[in-house]
Amino acid sequence: MQQIFANLAIGLQTAFTWTNILWVIIGGTLGTIIGMLPGLGPATGVAILIPITFGMNPATALICMCAVYYGAMFGGSRSSIMLNTPGDASAIVSCFDGYQMTKQGRAGQALAISAIASFIGGSIGMILLVFLTQPIASAALKFGPAEMFSLMMFALVATITLSQGNLLKGLVAICFGLMLSTVGIDSLTAIPRFTYGIDALQDGIDFLVIIIGVYAVCEVYKNLKDVDTKLNFDSKHIGKVWITKEDWKASWKPMLRSAPLGFVIGALPGMGGTIATFMSYAMEKSLSKHPEKFGTGAIEGLAAPESANNACSCGAMVPLLTLGIPGSGTTAVMLGALMLLGVRPGPTLFTDHPEIAWGVIASMLIGNIILVLINLPLAVPLVQLLRVPTRIMLPIIMGLALVGAYFLNYSSSDLIILMIAALIGFMFWKLDIPLPPLVLALILGNTTEQNLRNAMVLSNGSLNIFFQKPISAVFLALALASLVYALVKRSRQKKTAAEKA
Amino acid sequence: MTINIITGIVSIVIGGFYLVSALLLPTMTMGDRLGPKLFPVIVAVLSIIAGVALVVGDLVKKTGKSAKPDFGFKEHKDIWLKILAITVVGIIYGLILDSVGFLLSTALFMFFITMMTNRKKIGQNVIVSLSFAIAAYLIFAVALKLSLPRGFIETALPF
Repeated sequence: MQQIFANLAIGLQTAFTWTNILWVIIGGTLGTIIGMLPGLGPATGVAILIPITFGMNPATALICMCAVYYGAMFGGSRSSIMLNTPGDASAIVSCFDGYQMTKQGRAGQALAISAIASFIGGSIGMILLVFLTQPIASAALKFGPAEMFSLMMFALVATITLSQGNLLKGLVAICFGLMLSTVGIDSLTAIPRFTYGIDALQDGIDFLVIIIGVYAVCEVYKNLKDVDTKLNFDSKHIGKVWITKEDWKASWKPMLRSAPLGFVIGALPGMGGTIATFMSYAMEKSLSKHPEKFGTGAIEGLAAPESANNACSCGAMVPLLTLGIPGSGTTAVMLGALMLLGVRPGPTLFTDHPEIAWGVIASMLIGNIILVLINLPLAVPLVQLLRVPTRIMLPIIMGLALVGAYFLNYSSSDLIILMIAALIGFMFWKLDIPLPPLVLALILGNTTEQNLRNAMVLSNGSLNIFFQKPISAVFLALALASLVYALVKRSRQKKTAAEKA
Repeated sequence: MTINIITGIVSIVIGGFYLVSALLLPTMTMGDRLGPKLFPVIVAVLSIIAGVALVVGDLVKKTGKSAKPDFGFKEHKDIWLKILAITVVGIIYGLILDSVGFLLSTALFMFFITMMTNRKKIGQNVIVSLSFAIAAYLIFAVALKLSLPRGFIETALPF
């Protein structure tokens, strides 16, 4: 307990410098804006802002990226409320009641509760994060290659079993990601693999290039057909951005309940804000005395998912910081950016660089307060940014993506890889092949392989090592359990679908 | 052809190609002998298995097959052309960046992209692309002090 507060004090010391507070404000505001724009979510936001972090020290860089992340969570619901168009997938649920409130002339209250719920969810998530990271990181310090390999297997399997999509397609995506990760000179034997004589591939494919291709350029492609849609809303009748006593009475319990739910979902690989918001909405609807009010402008129907959403982004930081395993697209991008700065998140981050690990956690505490202060009084002017036409916004994102990708290694061959990756990513999107598992596999591929080989060397080539070490066996069992769960759930869904038909 | 069958075929072809390449890797005579081959072979086999399962799954099923792919090559021909054009121009941008310099090539690239999305307003596009290039230059080269590719314009500048 004391240890935690001592650590938090170190963190506050890092976070409370003018530079870091300034970057929390800049990152949070940029995140809010990007989150607000339809079609662009936190992953895109962090991906295109990577070049800004180049000149920073790692702590400031991570603090800034986190601010973009939860800023996007604050902003995502703005366009849901005003336009009935979600800013990103996790803001879909906010349309249900948020837009209804706007239609009834309660836009001000909707904007206010979304900021307040985001703040409460984020704060509860933060507290859970503070108490959970240290024990998990200490436990993970004892992991050897066998445990790490099994943990990564679990993370990869869970990414496809816990998400909603087709299992086999998820497996295909993982395989493609792992294949890409093996390109380049093998670090253990110095043999070039899968380079097909192309010099540019010798150092491997920089996964940040693929990430920018998939999350920024590809997003531009997806939005190309909507360049001429005009976003129109009435900003004169937003009203006062504040809530009434009745609103608070109706929504405080849902906010408190949804935060832990969102946090847990965020911490699991493969489940992100979208699932968290849908689950918290469903939970509140089933607990409510007036479930019929949901979908007609019930304030608790907006408060619950908003709170879950921000708690979820705190939860997602747990595996990233403690295990070095990103569970979502956004945290994957953050991991990539950090590795570029020479920092490898994981259990050793807490022992080697406590100021980074705890600085980030403390900055999230400050960031939450700053963002609610930005979002309440500035809600109305910020919403005006929704009027910037898509046809101007898309080229700017495109430009940032290309400039950012070039700066990663100052290499023009990266731009060729970027453009090809975006094109393939777009085709995969059309084929409904999920991209998050591919990205995750690409990032984890190298470490997974090295841990597998190190473990095999330790055991003289016997696979038994993965089952004899208890922790490793537990992770493999969890992976199997999640697979069984997914198969059972899907066969049930099919049955009910067949019965209905 | 449903999307699952196409995905399956893609997975089999890529997996097969990758498997052959993996098997052709030199075998180490000492130390970690299976090393560089083992992992790629596992991945390739998994990819082929998943691909076969996807294809067979949709061929065997009478109902509940996956949907037909909606690439929209015909209906959205203009979008596909734009994407292809952007891909080519992006690659060209990378190729000329080092010799032409950051400001000019970025402004040209941005002008091209804005013309793709905002065709009618050339004046607006010129302003957007010039301000993007200049703002990016000021942020990255002047404020963050990253070294940018310098062409004739940049070398003439005092900063």
